[in-house]
Amino acid sequence: MSLKKVLALTLSISVCMAAAGCKKAPEDAIKIGAIFSVTGGGSNLGAPESKTAKMLVDEINAKGGVNGKMLDLIVKDSESSPEKAISFAKQLIEEEKVFAIIGPSTSGETMKIKSICDEAKVIMLSCAAAEVIVNPVAKYVFKTPQKDSHVAMRIFDTMKKMGINSIGIISDNTGFGNAGKDQLEKIAPQKGVKIVISEVYDKKATDLSGVLTKLKARNVQAVVNWSIVPAQSIVAKNMKQINLNVPLFQSHGFGNIKYAKEAGKAGEGIIFPCGRLLVAEQLPDTNKQKTLLVKYKKDYEAKFNEDVSTFGGHAYDAITILVEGLKKAGSADREKVRTAIENLKGFPGTAGVFNFSPQDHNGLGLDSLVILTVKDGKFVPYEKLD
Amino acid sequence: MDAGRYIPVLILAAAVAAVQLFTLATGSEYYLTQLTMSAYYALVIIGLCTLMGYAGQISLGHAGFFAIGGYTVSVMTTYDFSGFSGSAVMGLLGTLGLASASGGELHLSPWVSLAAALVITVAVAFIIGIPILKLKGHYLAMASLGFGLIIYRIVLGTRIFGEADGISDVPGFAIAGGLRVSGSPELRIQNYYIAWTLVIIGTVMLINLVKSRAGRALRSIHGSEEAAMAMGVNASRYKLYVFVISAVFASLAGAFMAHLNGGIGPSEADVMKSVKYVAIVAAGGMANLWGALTMGVLLNYISLRGYLGSYDDAFFGAILIAIMLFAPEGLINPAVMKTAAVRARSLIDSIKKKTGRGGHAS
Repeated sequence: MSLKKVLALTLSISVCMAAAGCKKAPEDAIKIGAIFSVTGGGSNLGAPESKTAKMLVDEINAKGGVNGKMLDLIVKDSESSPEKAISFAKQLIEEEKVFAIIGPSTSGETMKIKSICDEAKVIMLSCAAAEVIVNPVAKYVFKTPQKDSHVAMRIFDTMKKMGINSIGIISDNTGFGNAGKDQLEKIAPQKGVKIVISEVYDKKATDLSGVLTKLKARNVQAVVNWSIVPAQSIVAKNMKQINLNVPLFQSHGFGNIKYAKEAGKAGEGIIFPCGRLLVAEQLPDTNKQKTLLVKYKKDYEAKFNEDVSTFGGHAYDAITILVEGLKKAGSADREKVRTAIENLKGFPGTAGVFNFSPQDHNGLGLDSLVILTVKDGKFVPYEKLD
Repeated sequence: MDAGRYIPVLILAAAVAAVQLFTLATGSEYYLTQLTMSAYYALVIIGLCTLMGYAGQISLGHAGFFAIGGYTVSVMTTYDFSGFSGSAVMGLLGTLGLASASGGELHLSPWVSLAAALVITVAVAFIIGIPILKLKGHYLAMASLGFGLIIYRIVLGTRIFGEADGISDVPGFAIAGGLRVSGSPELRIQNYYIAWTLVIIGTVMLINLVKSRAGRALRSIHGSEEAAMAMGVNASRYKLYVFVISAVFASLAGAFMAHLNGGIGPSEADVMKSVKYVAIVAAGGMANLWGALTMGVLLNYISLRGYLGSYDDAFFGAILIAIMLFAPEGLINPAVMKTAAVRARSLIDSIKKKTGRGGHAS
């Protein structure tokens, strides 16, 4: 019987684990749990979020913390797996007794732990986009990214100004693509735009000229593409190849200069709504967000040597909103902080100016988005910035 | 009747209770959360262990069966069947008390969805198993991998399965009396026992299987399929049966896990999950149910608690390589532990020799 050896092995492993798991933190620090998809399918979201959160917490602690207390950030990598997000959420709430949870990065994970956080009365500030996260409102659940419906509305408003009435939409088969397609189809009639054709393609498609040819045959006045990488760049190239010379609109997912570079010359003139982060320097000095946007962009790019993306900004907003709530409440009392966040008005973040209310746990309006376009390989405002 | 084989089962049951009492005494009941989840994964592992270790058939598609179970119950318990309220089937289920209307929606009992999940699993396992179990070695591995990929792509690409977001808000499963499979903190202790009861029942069943005539037949197939057939063993039938049984174990685990977690996501169907299961079976010792069970709980527990951080998948990949190199019979095996040490030492010696020679040459 190898029982002795099994025991020895188990014991030695658990000792190693315990040693690795114990991290000394100041006694009265405010513990904040973070669940990010640092690796796995959502790593393009989770990696910048995790970096941003750590950078920001270090910065806050260097300045003496919040209300005289240090912040203790515990980051867990969920690898985009809901079952891990569930396990980590329970762990953070029950064992670590965290004050609040930042994240998760993806909507699927957020929806799995929405009720866990709400029942445990732990504040959650999700960095995921789906509207169902805050609709219906759960008392303790907030989210920081802009709503898909607002993105769709801004796209249609811009089209109306350009005199475009009949369009074709294409989207990939991810959750992001489908949510966008739903919103576009729902809002188009309200805005008086006719969708003559709507096509879905696989997210890993490497050539979309077949899909685009169908759109060309229907004489669309503009194309809207709602997808993740790399299709965003492929669409632009294929449109030029098949001579489909109409304006191309993209979702806010296009908000990383890398994608514009990949599209090269074909990417010129792409129009998309996005937060103000990418054009921070070009904002007028009167803009409430400008100072923090310029600083965040500079700090992030200097520290990590990579282009800033809007995703990291969602974690930035989640932490600054929580910190503001703590300051307003004056103590680490969950009820008071939750109420303070719910009543936060005119609070500038990277995604926009937040105005929370008991009915609106997202707090961002249509004006949180600006319309950008690609010119000479750079993002520039399509309309005058405010 | 050989009662000796059940002594380890009693030890396991005692250990399960002891752990619970220990956490109760130390106020650390939160450990039970991950131990409950690990138990369901262990159910997949012991099923797969019987297939791989005893029958000698590899499967890189068992996450697919887990997903079939989990997704079937998730869809069926969250779907509003009021559109079918006039149909004869729904009428029958209603009179049997297996469908209930609330708030204008008509929902099926979790018993119906669990039964459906198991029926679908058995059907799929038969349909897939008959052709692919004719393959051997890495051809079988590839074919089962293909099956796993298909399931993954289906859940990722189908609206009703929630695509990339998966399914949320799956209700708890009221088994009987106050027993309820659910993730809520106040039901933690009973859920821990529900999960471990399933594992113990499953283990007893598999022990009986491998110690029976069928088990000897399976081992003879593992040894040499041709020789087994020459001795009158219907190899293809035995292989198929054990494949179906292991698929049912995985599916059952998936179904209970979906109720426990209140949902399921495509990561459960991911091929990397299947690789993880194979790695754990290998670490436990291929033909060693107890080893597989121990490793299944231990390694899943480590993974679910996030001790491995971002290196989770890498860790399981490394385990697979290390086990295949140094201890192909698994870790939990005294003889093997010795040979593994010897092998590792001889490898180090040979590397030393080689680098030593290299040094002389230059």
